[in-house]
Parts: sequence; C-alpha cells; structure tokens
Amino acid sequence: MKAIILMAVAGLLSTTVTYAQIKNAKTETIKVYGNCGMCEKTIEKAGSKSKLYKTDWNEDTKMASITYESKKTTADAVLKNIALSGYDNASFLAPDEAYNKLHGCCKYDRESKTAVAVNNTTPGNTMQDHDGHSQGNANVNMQEASQLKAVFGNYFLLKDALVKTDGSTASSSGAALLSALDAVEMEKLKPDDDTVWMKVEKALKTGAQHIKENKDIEQQREHFIALSKNMYELIKASKLTETVYYQFCPMANDGKGANWLSKESAVKNPYYGSQMLSCGKVVETIKQ
Amino acid sequence: MKQLLLLVFGITLYSFVSAQGTITYTCPMHPEIHATTPGNCPKCGMTLVKEKPKVVKKAVTKKQQPIKVQKDTIKIKPVISEPNDGMKMSPAATKQAAIYTCPMHPVIHADQPGNCSKCGMKLVEEKPKDDMNNMGDSGAGMIDKKQAKSNLGPIKTKAATQPPRTIVYHLYIADTIVNFSGKSKRAIAVNGQIPMPTLTFTEGDTAEIYVHNNLKESTSLHWHGLFLPNKEDGVPNLTQMPIKPGTTHLYKFPVIQHGTHWYHSHSGLQEQIGMYGSFIMNKREEWDIPTVPVLLSEWTDYKPENVHRMLHNASDWFALKKNAVQSYAEAAKAGHFKTKLQNEWKRMLAMDVSDVYYDKILMNGKSESTVSKVEGKLLKAGDKVRLRVSNGGASSYFWLRYAGGKITVVASDGNDVEPVEVDRLIIAVSETYDIVVTIPADSTSYELLATTEDRTNSASLYVGNGIRQLISPMPRLKYFEGMKMMNGMMKMNGDLDDMGMNMSLNQMDMNVVMYPEITREEKKKAEMPKDTMSMNDYPHANHNQYNSNEMSDIVTLNYAMLRSPLETTLPESTTRTMKFELTGNMNRYVWSLDNKVVSEADKILVRKGENLRLILFNGSMMRHPMHLHGHDFRVINGQGEYAPLKNIIDIMPMETDTLEFNANVEGDWFFHCHILYHMMSGMGRVFSYQNQQANPLIPNPKLARRKLFADDRKMHFMFQNDFATNGNDGEMMLQNTRWSVGSEWRLGYHDMHGYETETHIGRYLGKMQWLMPFVGFDWRYRKMGIDEQEKNLFGQTNTKDNRAVVSVGVNYTLPMLIRFQTEVFTDGIVRLQLMREDIPIAKKLRAAFMLNTDKEYMVGLNYILGRNLSVRTHYDSDMGLGAGITFNY
Repeated sequence: MKAIILMAVAGLLSTTVTYAQIKNAKTETIKVYGNCGMCEKTIEKAGSKSKLYKTDWNEDTKMASITYESKKTTADAVLKNIALSGYDNASFLAPDEAYNKLHGCCKYDRESKTAVAVNNTTPGNTMQDHDGHSQGNANVNMQEASQLKAVFGNYFLLKDALVKTDGSTASSSGAALLSALDAVEMEKLKPDDDTVWMKVEKALKTGAQHIKENKDIEQQREHFIALSKNMYELIKASKLTETVYYQFCPMANDGKGANWLSKESAVKNPYYGSQMLSCGKVVETIKQ
Repeated sequence: MKQLLLLVFGITLYSFVSAQGTITYTCPMHPEIHATTPGNCPKCGMTLVKEKPKVVKKAVTKKQQPIKVQKDTIKIKPVISEPNDGMKMSPAATKQAAIYTCPMHPVIHADQPGNCSKCGMKLVEEKPKDDMNNMGDSGAGMIDKKQAKSNLGPIKTKAATQPPRTIVYHLYIADTIVNFSGKSKRAIAVNGQIPMPTLTFTEGDTAEIYVHNNLKESTSLHWHGLFLPNKEDGVPNLTQMPIKPGTTHLYKFPVIQHGTHWYHSHSGLQEQIGMYGSFIMNKREEWDIPTVPVLLSEWTDYKPENVHRMLHNASDWFALKKNAVQSYAEAAKAGHFKTKLQNEWKRMLAMDVSDVYYDKILMNGKSESTVSKVEGKLLKAGDKVRLRVSNGGASSYFWLRYAGGKITVVASDGNDVEPVEVDRLIIAVSETYDIVVTIPADSTSYELLATTEDRTNSASLYVGNGIRQLISPMPRLKYFEGMKMMNGMMKMNGDLDDMGMNMSLNQMDMNVVMYPEITREEKKKAEMPKDTMSMNDYPHANHNQYNSNEMSDIVTLNYAMLRSPLETTLPESTTRTMKFELTGNMNRYVWSLDNKVVSEADKILVRKGENLRLILFNGSMMRHPMHLHGHDFRVINGQGEYAPLKNIIDIMPMETDTLEFNANVEGDWFFHCHILYHMMSGMGRVFSYQNQQANPLIPNPKLARRKLFADDRKMHFMFQNDFATNGNDGEMMLQNTRWSVGSEWRLGYHDMHGYETETHIGRYLGKMQWLMPFVGFDWRYRKMGIDEQEKNLFGQTNTKDNRAVVSVGVNYTLPMLIRFQTEVFTDGIVRLQLMREDIPIAKKLRAAFMLNTDKEYMVGLNYILGRNLSVRTHYDSDMGLGAGITFNY
C-alpha cells in the first residue's frame, strides 16, 4: 500500500518538479478574483507556505492552481488564507476590511458577493402604520419616503465613511448621494417638503459634488458641515419613519462647532473619526 | 469642470485659512510635527490634522459653547439627556466644574491647569463621575435597547406540543481516541461523541439521566446553572460520591427553569478532554426561529494532568508556543527594554491573558463547520438565527464576532435580557449567551468567529447557505503595552493599585492597551517619539482610557449593558454581606480566595431564606469566571430592580463586583473559579446550609471531605538534569500550594570535580509567596582540584572534601526575580547565595547565574529545543566549563 502511495507521489513529482518539496501533493484549479500583477503577488503569497501548499494564479483566466500536501491541509484552507488577504474566490468571500485595504488598482469587481437583501423591517413597519389609510395616500407617502429615503440613506453612509476617516468610501458615498439627489422628483414631494427642497436642493447637490470629487478627508469634512445643515432642514420637514439624532461637536470647524445627523444616539464624530470619536452630543432628537 | 471646481475650492479654502490666521497642522502620532499646510506626516505618513487649540484657545471655545447651545435649544424640543454626558464634552459640565485632575492619578485635584504633582503629566479637566445608578428609562442605554428590540422585530412563538413529561437519557461514558490536530490522543466520549449529546427539555418536564461509567476511572456530571436538589448537582465528594468505573448512576430532577445551559464532568480534569455538552431547556412558549446550540471548547495534545503540572512549575513552554515569551531581546526590538526590566524588577513573569496553549479551538466539536439547515429547513436571507452559545472550554475565553453584521444578545446564563446590539462580546469560561444573528444575503453563509482571548487560535461556524463570507481575524496582542500597563498597576509588594478607577462589570478593560483594533497598531521603535505617553495619542482617552466603547466605534458587550426584562428583586429577608478577595500568584500558580484554598478554609454557613450579598474584588493578575452552583445571582449593575440574573461572573483584575442571591435551596453548594486549572488549585469555597438534612449520597462525610481537599493538596513533580561534559547538574522538586520539597545535585565524573547534593523542605509564606523558610540537608565529597576555596567570605573555613550537614535557612525572591538564600549549617557555617535561572534573553535563549559566599559561582546559557530538551553551556567554579543537553520534566 505504502509503495503505491510512494509511486503515486513519485508520479506527481515527475510532472510537477517545482512542487517537489510538497509531499502527497494534490493540485486543484479554482477561481480567485483579482485584477493585476500586484494581485497575483498578494494571492500567491497568501496561498503559499513552504512544504505545505503553493498557489499559482493566472491573471488572464483568474484561475489559481493550488498544490497542497493532501494529508495535512485542504484546498479550502488555502482559499481561506487567500480570502483573508482580500481576494474573493470560489469558496470564500474576503472580509470587507481586507478588500478595502487593497490597492486601488487591485479593487476587482466583487461579482460573487450577493447584494444584501433589502432590510424589510422599516418599510414593513411603514406599511403596517398606514394600514388604515387610503391606498392612494399611502402611495404618495411611500414614494416620497423612498425618494428621500435614498437621499438620507446615502447621507448616513457618507457620514459613516467620514467617521471611519475613509476618503475614498466617502467620495463614492458622495457620488451615490448626488445621484439620489438628482433622482428626486419634486412633483412627488409633499407641499411642505418641496419648499424646503427648493431651498436646499442646490446647496446639497454642490456639497455632494465636492465630496464626490475630493478624496482628501479634511476637505470632505469641510463640505460636510454645510451639507449636514441643509440635510437637517430637509429631514426636519419630511416625515421620517425612524428617529434621527442631530448631533453637535463643539471642536469641529475650528472651534466654531459643527453639526451632523445620525441614526444612533451614541456619538460617533464624523469630523474627527477615531481621533476623538465620542466628542460631541445629541442636541436634538427628530422623531417621526 | 473638475479643475474649475477644484480651483474654486482651493480659493475658498485659501481664504478660509487666511481668515483663520494661524492654523497649523500636526500629526496625531507625532505631536512635534507642525506644518502650515495639510498633508502627510513626514515621519509616519499619516494625514496631518488641525492642531488642537491650546489651553488658551480652549477657554474661548468654552465661552462660545453655551451661547451656541442656547440658541439651538430655543427652537427645538427637549434635549436628550445622556447619562454618559459626564464622559463627553458637555458645555454645562465644563462651565461648572473647572477642576483639573491627572489622568493617571485621580486623587489629584487642582483648580488651575498645570502638571500633576505626582507624575508631571499635564492635568486634564475633570468630568463629573458617571453615576451608574441613574440609568433611567430615558438614558441613551435604554434608547439603544429599544432600537435593538425594534431591529429584532416581533418574534413569533410556538407553544410546546407535549404536556410536561419525563424525559430519559442514557449516557455511556467511555475512553476514545481522537485526532483533532494530526496526532492520535486519548479523549473521553459520551455515546461515542465529543461534545457530549445535547440534552433538550421543556420547562415542567422531569429529567431522568442514566450515567453509565465505562471508563477505568471514576466520573461525575454537573448540570451547570441548573436549579436542582443538592444531591443531583454532580460534584464528586461534595454532593455525591464519584461514579465508580463500571457502575450506573441516575440523576433525576424536575426541570423548573428554561434557557441555555450546559453540563460537564466535575471530576479531575475530564472536562478538558471531551466531557462537555449543551443542556437546553425550552420555555413552554418558545421562540419560533431557527435555533442552534453552539458549544465552544478547546483541545490540547498534552494530557491535562501534564498541563496542570507544567503550569505549577511556571514552565514558559506555552508562551513559547504562542510566541509570547516577551524576552529581553524581543523587548529591546520593540523599544520596550525598560518596560521589561521594570516588569522583572516588580517580580512579574511575562504577562499574558491566558495560561495554556491549545492546538485546536472547537465549536460543536469542529474547528470549521457550517449550519445551513435548521430542522430540515434551509436558512435564507433575512432569517434571524438564534445561537445558544456555551463556553465549555477549560480555560479559554472567546471573542465572538459575526461577519453578517451586529450580534443581538438576548440572554445570558440562561436568563433573558433586554436585547442589546453589539459588534462583539467576550464569553468567559463556562458562561452562556443567547445571541441572534441575521443572514443578510442569499447564496452566502456568514462566519461566526470565536477567537481565543490571546488571539492565537480560533474556530469558525458558517451560518447560511453558499459562499462563505469571512470576517477579519483579530490582530495580535501588543504584549509590551500590556506589560507596561501591568507595571503601572503593580505595587512593589505585589498588590494591585487601581489608581482610584473603581472598575467593575468589564466596563473598563485594562487589556485595551493591547488591542490594536482599539488602540491602533503597534509602532516600530524608530517611529516612536521618545516621551509620548500612549495616552496622549487619544485626545479623548483621558476620561476613559480603558473603556473600549468610548475609544472606538466597535461596541463590546459588558455586564452593565445587561438588563433583565422582569424585576429580579430578592424576597424581603435579612441580608448578610460577605467580602472576598480573589488572590493568586502566577509564578507558583496558586489561586485562592482571601489567600486560602478550599482545603484551608471552612465551609461558609448559610441560613435558609436569608439574602446573601457577595462583594468580590479581584486582587490577582488574571481574570476569574466565578461560578455559583444551584442558584442564580443578581449582578448589581446599575439597572436597579432589573439587574440581570447570572450564575457566572467574570471579574477582571482590580474589578469589584457585587452579587446577591436568596438562599433558597439547602445543600452544600460549590462557589469557585471555573478556569479548570484554577479550580483544581483550590480557588473556591463551599456554601453550606445550616441544619440541613444529611445527603444520602455521602455516607461518610469525613472521607468525602478528605477526598475533596485532596484536589488542591496534590503535589506537583518537576525534574531537570543537565548531562554535561563536566558532570551532571540537576534538581527535582515536589510542590503544592504551600510546601516545597526539593533536591539539587552536582555530580562530577571524577573525584576532582566532586559530588554534591542539597535537599530543602520549605513552606511558602504570604500571598505572593516570595518568602520560604526551609530546613535542609547538604552532603558533598570532593578531592581538591579546581578553584580551591577553603575559606568563605566571612573567613570561616569550609572543607569541601567531605561534608554532611543539616541546615536551616530562608529563600526570598528579590526584585528581578533573583532568589536570595540564607542558610546556616550545623557546623556553624553561614552561606548567602544569589541565584536566578531562566532569564529570558531571547525567545528561546535563557541565561542563569549563581554566586555565593563560599566563593562558588556559576553562569550558564540555555537554548530551548523542545518542551523537555535544551542545550546548555555553563561555567561552574567547581567543575569548570561544560556543555551538554538538559532534560526537564
């Protein structure tokens, strides 16, 4: 029996000389997402360990050939390592944190990541709340809710990116906010809203535009001050379905103080991020 | 267009900057850097930030604030008052309380800014104390809870289909061979499986559990967290006699509670090698969502008896395996040489958050597994899954984190709590938590990652179907930061100094200094500014430098966040208060309460019906999960009548926690630290009800008592011999909590080198056990050869040729862990000796030296090859230079 294994090993050895140091070698070819030569380096480094496993990734086919010591480890274990270095593959999705740390040119399209299912609790509640209303009325409300919801949602994402001091995410959130703003159809807003909307629309769009086009976090934060003020006006006028907190940091804006909106009462400061995360306080609770 | 915008932006920025006058930018890490334009730090490349206004400017800010806020308050609804206000920048607080204090020495108060008179640090504004008890319904904590509850949404329930009935289980306990790590090792399986089968009941049922012991040793099963008659509690030699090999024992009790619990062997170290299982009691009206029991445990290839012995011999093999030796070379490389020196000066061994290295971490017996189906139904996006998590590990705490978003904690130790959303929680040894996780997307399963507290190992459970979404592993601990923190807390006499922080309930975690995710990545020496205290790195850390929830946006569960949905007040009765200090000594691995182990203390007598209030202070350097048998206690955590009920409380070093319970079931109930090796060292007490009926399962109470005490009286054996070119050098020791019997020898290969043995029997005194008086016997024979020294430093003549004497003396551990020995022999000769072995020079390199007033000396170097083997070279004044192989056990 042993002899057969040895022979089998010898057979493998003769074909794959480069993997000579890996015993009981087995090779599998598996999809690993990535873009460029830099990706190849990272993937192959994460997927190789002397005497245990070795990975060879092909930039064109995006296929990795993984050779491993089949008695001590598995292809899955190697794929897990590769995923932890930031690369989605057939078995594992990389942690978002690892993906975000990749170099700009390495940020491949995450095709295998399924979009997060719509959080149905909040709209669901709205539906229940409006059970007694006439259908038409509910429709208008729903439309408005969804229009502005996208605006607010993207605003909060932008704020979160600033909290994390993540300029590039902030910029993309700014872009998303801008498109959400562009998508707002004024005729579908309620009368109260559209006066406010007319007042703040331009300022909001300019602010979002600036943040979109600027990757420097400090400049994004400057723009965020005015953006937050206008967003506050809008959020006050529109009837929200969830509680929002208007928060204030006395130190931001060079000691003049600045506000922002948050869905949580706990303070997470977008103007300083981790440097002074909890600086600030809730100055107003905006309920529906 | 873009350029134009940029230009416009540039101009506005410029005018803004010039209007402001002197704005400077600085690096958050390198305060010595100042720049007039934004950019990156030339030292570390971090983005520069605007420089914080100095004290003068601060005063201006202060003046402005109230005006600003007033303006806001006029037009808006009531301001939410946060109970945490005190911890944050609140204009009102700064206005009234212009008192300054030192972040390190809260005893210092000054009405002007300046430097601390004790340590010279800059004083900071003092914030009013956060009053734990005023956490009313309007507090932010409550709001978060409401939000957690609404996020959780309404959960359907399902009534039990069966009326209360008797449920019978048969458990066959037998030896087995397992292979978790690539090596075949002995373990214990029940009904052929590890972990033991999950036992499920519904409240109101009666449990009948037949335990068939097919082992070659006795056993027992303890039902952890259950309310039951004392004789069913399963503590051998306390509530029953051990279940002998080849016999069957019946546990029978009514199920009068619900929740997630577990069961395990309470005999010896059997719990370490497989004897743990989930014990689930459903409500009669139970949640109708997918529910999965998850049992955490660890596996070591070493026999647990050997682990226990190695711990008692202060072996640093586990530290070596974990790459956590913290030697001088490593310290120097990390720029912490002084820290290490100070650490040894204060007589501490390398610091760590856990004692034992494990080969594998297991969740339901596997280090990687997937839950894709529950009760035959595939999990899908949007599903909320309840995980009933128990920590069945013998000595490991685990961090729980989830790749699919927040974790909602809904119960602890089997008792419901108001839902609370967290990013992570640490589960103490033997604790249980019910957590709810949501599956965010289809075709994906999400990793629930359990990482050991020391972060050297983990296990994964994937919840859902499809490709596995990972979560980032936890970064390595910054050990030297931890060492520095311990140095600060440790007084020269071995007591800990909490510097007035009044810590409790895991709210402040001193270990955050070691967590890179909270207190940023470790710096390389070259990048480190000379005199920056780590605290200055975080402008807001001053208020709360150990509160991880304040310092980052990662929400970590602590006991203050637990709130019972129902009132938990105790019945009216007399209340008796007892105080315990959790004591211990890492160097000798002795763990106790009030410096007494189980065998040294009397049972604590309890009157049935009275309320007991326990105040526990942890004065040791390790955290301890304290477990009470047969009762749940209220954890006094600021939630008033809604204090949560638990039966385990984890107490970190320097914390004080208060528990209370009603003494309502008579019997002898064990109260102990649930870290298996601490319990076996005697860290516990027995609560015994007065005038109770004799336990029919303990026919001979005296014998049972003696057997119970035998656990912590056990002697631990240690042996070491160096086979060198110039002779044999070795020692052998038997030690327990207080006693030490040791023998050292030096055997040359011929008369010129001589033969010598010294035997000492001593008793360690005091909490830190630095002092050990002993009696000894010394014999030597030699023909004068090398280094003829017939007179000692005191001028006494000392023949070494042939001498057999009895002695008395004392050992004392000096700062730097140097053992100082004074010995007086029957022939009147006095000998003083200084000695230190195991000086950690580098990761695997140890140095030793010895010198005494007989003008003998020795220096040696040891390079560790394996657990039992090292190569050694030494020079000895009697035997000269030698090299050899050292074997140790």
